[in-house]
Amino acid sequence: MARGEILLIGLSKRFADVVAVDSLDLEIPGGEFFSLLGPSGCGKTTTLRMIAGFEQPSEGRILLDGADVAYTPPHKRNVNTVFQNYALFPHLNVFDNIAFGLRRAKRPKNEVRPRVEEALELVQLGGLGKRKSSELSGGQQQRVALARALVLNPAVLLLDEPLGALDAKLRKTLQIELKTLQQEVGITFLYVTHDQEEALTMSDRLAVMNNGRIEQVGSPRDVYEEPETLFVADFLGVSNLMDAAAHGAGDAGCRVTLERFELEAGGGERDTTGPAKVVIRPERVELERRDDPSGPNRLPGMVERLVYVGSAVQVLVRVATGEKLQALVQNTGQALPYEQGTPVQIHLPVDALRVLSAGERAVRQEPETDTVPA
Amino acid sequence: MSTASEVQAPARLTAWSRSRGWLTNPWGRPRFLVLFTWAYMIWALVPVLIAVQFSFNDSRSRTVWQGFSTRWYWGDPVDSVWHDPSLRNALVQSLKLATADVLIATPIGVLLAIGLARWTGWGSRPSNFLMLFPLVTPEIVMGVSLLLLFTNVFTFVGTGTPAQILGHVTFSISYVVVIVRGRLFSIGRQYEEAAADLGASPTVALTRVLLPLLTPAIIASAAVVFAISIDDFVISQWLSSGGATDTVPIQIYAATRAAPLPSTNAIATVMMVLTLVSVTAGYLVWRAFTRGERRPERKAAEEAGAALQMG
Repeated sequence: MARGEILLIGLSKRFADVVAVDSLDLEIPGGEFFSLLGPSGCGKTTTLRMIAGFEQPSEGRILLDGADVAYTPPHKRNVNTVFQNYALFPHLNVFDNIAFGLRRAKRPKNEVRPRVEEALELVQLGGLGKRKSSELSGGQQQRVALARALVLNPAVLLLDEPLGALDAKLRKTLQIELKTLQQEVGITFLYVTHDQEEALTMSDRLAVMNNGRIEQVGSPRDVYEEPETLFVADFLGVSNLMDAAAHGAGDAGCRVTLERFELEAGGGERDTTGPAKVVIRPERVELERRDDPSGPNRLPGMVERLVYVGSAVQVLVRVATGEKLQALVQNTGQALPYEQGTPVQIHLPVDALRVLSAGERAVRQEPETDTVPA
Repeated sequence: MSTASEVQAPARLTAWSRSRGWLTNPWGRPRFLVLFTWAYMIWALVPVLIAVQFSFNDSRSRTVWQGFSTRWYWGDPVDSVWHDPSLRNALVQSLKLATADVLIATPIGVLLAIGLARWTGWGSRPSNFLMLFPLVTPEIVMGVSLLLLFTNVFTFVGTGTPAQILGHVTFSISYVVVIVRGRLFSIGRQYEEAAADLGASPTVALTRVLLPLLTPAIIASAAVVFAISIDDFVISQWLSSGGATDTVPIQIYAATRAAPLPSTNAIATVMMVLTLVSVTAGYLVWRAFTRGERRPERKAAEEAGAALQMG
């Protein structure tokens, strides 16, 4: 068994009358880069703080490599945290900040120095040991926080929105660095973020959280391409959600009707019947000319607006059912043959269209860990 | 839309409106506020400066200036601060009380502040509020009640130096708590959590992280305690047993009522300097210790620089 396996069983946290985390079950194998993704207030940070030991669970167990640590004080847990605002000790210089943990563990002096220097090299800050933390830029402070946590060689590294305070460009650079670093050191990273792009770029797997519960667990690809709930579909990227009625399995997928139009949806709950929603990503919507040959899964519509976003053009289409749909057309340098008011035919490919029953909660009954490849 | 013909010519400026504009021009310097502030400063400072000036008077008069001298500080063999035993004793007693107050009230106040700031259970709010009580209770009420306490209940205390120290400590603690608690709230819990995360037990987190971070607040509150203790009149007076336990403010009061000499001004000046020095020192230490904590604009600039370097 790889070191750094986390197992959360029925983990709950209540603050007064608010349920922050609602009986969470989650399994994270050792060495994985796992993200908790969700909007603010979804319980992701509380979950992380319970694993770190800063909050005591109201119920449930936290198994770290098989040992229940739910009631172990934070200074006795083999996990380390990178805080959102770094929490570097302002009265200590960079070297002493990183050495803090080693000195608490009573490591001999001749071991502390080389280990701190090694950690500094690891985060590419070699030679900056004498600086005060206030003399560092935000990105450098973030690296010191990382080195300070990694130098103790924890089983699990917890990261609480560590890139949140940095500007967009630096964030992109550090995302790649963090992922590389994680692969290098091979320990479990549990990463909390509300930024879906961060979670998708870096994670091996991620859990989407909402209202203290996990909506879906899976690889970035699973979660993005095959959202299991309306919340996930809506939270990750831009989704087109349309009301529909489902009529159970057909030839290629679930038969759904949008008013008078019949479509088949290849993804999602293909056996569902009754009121439902169909979901499609804007980049999967295909625009055709109105007089192109018709076929299955096609709807008439009219271009309502074109939005130039640089790498692509967003085309907002009013579908004949009255709903609005967004299509993303890659910018190839050629002008689009559409403008406001152009009648078009919209192709929603069967395999790109997913159906989700409208009763959102009913969707998820099985433990999330089922989707984990063994 | 207005056309050129509709635009009105500006009204003629009268002398009144011009001077008003000079005072209150919203785009210019806030002259009215500056004038107001200076008027107050002069009102408050001039009497003090005159009192200081007459402490250097060469004659026994406190109203007629007759040249500069330091006779009321140490030159006069009988009536100078240095040679008059009652003034000298008072100075010693004041310094003794202030020092003891600092040494006792500061540690107790720091521990109380940490406890109150980190205690979030039932009763923490009223307790936090109660800490403000000594600050708002009229000193005379506190003085009387302490006197009754020490002469009727805890009679082994009685009046005199121990009673005065206890009295000063009682009201000083609140100042320490308020200052240190403010600092605790502004530094938050994150450093303690980081320390615990890195393997520090609560005791180690306190000594290695929290106390160093509180140092500026501790020194500042010690300076404030020194200043208010040395200035205190009411409680020192109530708990004094007369003679050797009279402090400088008590002596000044007594001397002014009897036959005032410029030596009274001299000792008052000494007090003022001591107070100013302690408060200034506290402020400078605070600034020096928290220097790294307030440079947001520089940080932003450096961050941009780092982004460029890495990009």
